[in-house]
Amino acid sequence: MTKARSFVACTMLMMFAAAPLLITPVGAEQFSDRTKQVGAKIKCMCKSCDMAAAICSHPGGAFSGPCDTAKMMLGEVDQHIAKGETDEQILQAFAQEYGPIVYTEPPKSGFSLLAWMLPSIYLFLGAGVVILVIFRWRKQTVQPAGSVSGAPGISSELLERARAQASRETQD
Amino acid sequence: MDVFGSFALVLAFICAVYAFGGGIAAIITRHPLLIKSTRQAGMATCCLIFLATFSLEYLFFSDNFSIAYVVSHSNRDLSTFYKVAALWSGQEGSLLFWSFLLAIYVFSVLLTYRNKNGELMPYVGVVMAGVQIFFLTLNNFIESPFKALASPAADGALRLVTAQDGRGLTPLLQYPEMVIHPPNLYSGYTGFTIPFAFALGALLARYPGEKWIHLTRKWTMIAWMFQSMGILLGAHWAYAVLGWGGYWGWDPVENASLLPWLSGTAFLHSVMMQEKRGMMKVWNVWLVFVTFLLCILGTFLTRSGVVSSVHAFANSSIGSWFVGFIVIILLTCFGAYLKNRDYLKSENQLDSIVSRESSFLFNNLILLVACIAVLSGTLFPVFSEWFTGNRISVGAPFFNKVNIPLGLLLLFLTGVGPLLAWRKTSTDSLKRNFGWPLGIGLAAGVIALVFGFRQFYSWVCLILCVFVASTVLLEFYRGAKVIRSRSGASYAASAVELAMRNTRRYGGYIVHMGMVFVFIGLAGAAFNRDIQKDMRQGDKLQIGPYTLVLQGFDTKPERNYTAQRLLVEVLEQNKPTMMLYPEKRKFSTTEENGTMVAIRSTLKEDLYVVFAGMNPDTQLPVVHAYLNPLVKWIWFGGVVVVFGTLVALMPNRRAVLVLSTAPQPVGQAVAHGLPSSVTLREGHD
Repeated sequence: MTKARSFVACTMLMMFAAAPLLITPVGAEQFSDRTKQVGAKIKCMCKSCDMAAAICSHPGGAFSGPCDTAKMMLGEVDQHIAKGETDEQILQAFAQEYGPIVYTEPPKSGFSLLAWMLPSIYLFLGAGVVILVIFRWRKQTVQPAGSVSGAPGISSELLERARAQASRETQD
Repeated sequence: MDVFGSFALVLAFICAVYAFGGGIAAIITRHPLLIKSTRQAGMATCCLIFLATFSLEYLFFSDNFSIAYVVSHSNRDLSTFYKVAALWSGQEGSLLFWSFLLAIYVFSVLLTYRNKNGELMPYVGVVMAGVQIFFLTLNNFIESPFKALASPAADGALRLVTAQDGRGLTPLLQYPEMVIHPPNLYSGYTGFTIPFAFALGALLARYPGEKWIHLTRKWTMIAWMFQSMGILLGAHWAYAVLGWGGYWGWDPVENASLLPWLSGTAFLHSVMMQEKRGMMKVWNVWLVFVTFLLCILGTFLTRSGVVSSVHAFANSSIGSWFVGFIVIILLTCFGAYLKNRDYLKSENQLDSIVSRESSFLFNNLILLVACIAVLSGTLFPVFSEWFTGNRISVGAPFFNKVNIPLGLLLLFLTGVGPLLAWRKTSTDSLKRNFGWPLGIGLAAGVIALVFGFRQFYSWVCLILCVFVASTVLLEFYRGAKVIRSRSGASYAASAVELAMRNTRRYGGYIVHMGMVFVFIGLAGAAFNRDIQKDMRQGDKLQIGPYTLVLQGFDTKPERNYTAQRLLVEVLEQNKPTMMLYPEKRKFSTTEENGTMVAIRSTLKEDLYVVFAGMNPDTQLPVVHAYLNPLVKWIWFGGVVVVFGTLVALMPNRRAVLVLSTAPQPVGQAVAHGLPSSVTLREGHD
């Protein structure tokens, strides 16, 4: 390894190693972290926005930021937490009150489960197709017989084609 | 001027119909004059669309409030800058703007290839004219922007009237980026029409070889670049205007813009397989078809009211027209494919699984899975309502959970793919190419853990970013070293020279580097913090290392709105750093409000301060402050992506042998067969 190479590698290492230092946890919160986490899973039901209760900001409204509805919902979350309920119980309570539309993400049950399954199905099906394609292409690959001994017999046209192909394949 | 504009649009429609019908006749008869006349009809269509668009702009600039569209989207006090943007702020104008941008592309194509590719161009012209006919039908008969303002009289009949003033432009659109974001995004959408026209034209014409790929490469890259810029500018607009502290909310309209970008990116990669190895011909043709279809589908979603979105245009009957158009495109594509599929026979051979070809296959897999996952997530509320009667929300948490792992896989392949050789990669080559980048990436991960980095996805993202950046930098370093050893130039000059010699390859690396920066920025989102507080004058608010002190509050009347402004002093480690002025704007014509966020942006973090309004209970101004780490990297990454694309669009600078009169040893010159005063060195044409 040359000195220059080591220098470049060390500089890069130091540069990237410093990256995490840029990020430090900060700030105080008005609502507890857990309230906000749960609030991010329920939609603000003010019907004038389509945002989560935790981040509802009413673009274009006279008042931006958690509106009365969102604040009320976050307050409800606080009350549920105070009762010692789990996140799942709190979400269910909201679903009973507003219906399944209150969730910001589909529940993992019933018809909604399909929404969660579909991406995995696409991935597995797609991966299956790719693997199948790779094996098919591997099968089609024809090994040139006697390529060394046959070298003198290669026509100039074939040689030209091979050169053009090699040029294409090494350019990018 | 409105009559002139309407007339130009009707004429444009007639010319487009002629270009389409005459083009089909020209393909059948091969009559040179017919071919020429249809091409000229195509160009005339474009010129007439330009005239119609300029007419509408003129109506805005001249405050012609006898036109309904002008009344709805402008007013006398609107600045000239935003009167330009008013053109595309509503349904009718934005559809005309779509036709306008498409016309620019079509005109450029017809002009560029007017004397070339005679076998292919009539087919391409017909496809482009077909697309133009659809949009001109909307412009002329469904959503005309030149409708006169009318109001019912006492007898019930409609009378033409002229309003005193307009209703003004939506406040959310009165922001500089709104003047450049839609044109960029629309240029992306419309730009994909060109590769679509060439792909379908080549399939219909059974045009030999990979020439259509070469012809459309630049057009595809231009469309892709505009789409990328449009998406990022839209994200920046959402960040700076909406005031919720984020830049991407997985809104259906945002998703619609992402879909063709994902499939277009897949195409830009897989097309290399066809160019280099003659593989994936069917796949590439269908990727282009799908990308174009997704552009139309995205427009349909935005304008039909099928999905609810804060961005969407008002509901209208226009959706059924788009559905019809999508069905026609699908039928045409399937028909052309079934008829001529033998033309797409590929030379599919794979020498090794560890090869560039395999990496492209997996790259396409991930991009397409992400694309379909976003599409099905966006449409899931509609499907759930159909099947169960209940509309189920699919919001940002779902899309994040699904797409973050896919994005990380893609990032990994971004690092791996370019370092694998075509056909087969040897173990030695793997060690040589991946040893250092992998080591550096893992070392960065370990150091991050030591410093308390505990967010799993952000941690993986950091490792992969370091890995990919290392692979790109090492590629530049190795190439530059070779050039440096020959020319004696500096590393930087050698790297520039290297990029210029193979712009496509190294432009692509720069784009990858840009994506790394974007991912770094995205990883920062896991550490966002915010705080909100009612503040009296002199009150302090602490967020991270910053102390915000409310120094005052004032009201500033402007021409088109009244701004309520907070004067917030920022102290960093108790030292005064700067003043921030977050605003709340009240627009007199619409009685609507707008937000102007004040942002202190550094590479480390954004201090993002929103004047949320007056608390109705306490009548005190409410300050909402966010600390968003690394956001600037996203915008910087976007600039690098665009720069890399521009580099890739440049022609290669070829290394040639030039004559130099530098003194050289006699023996060396003789060896070249040249006079002793002449030597060979590397140069460029």
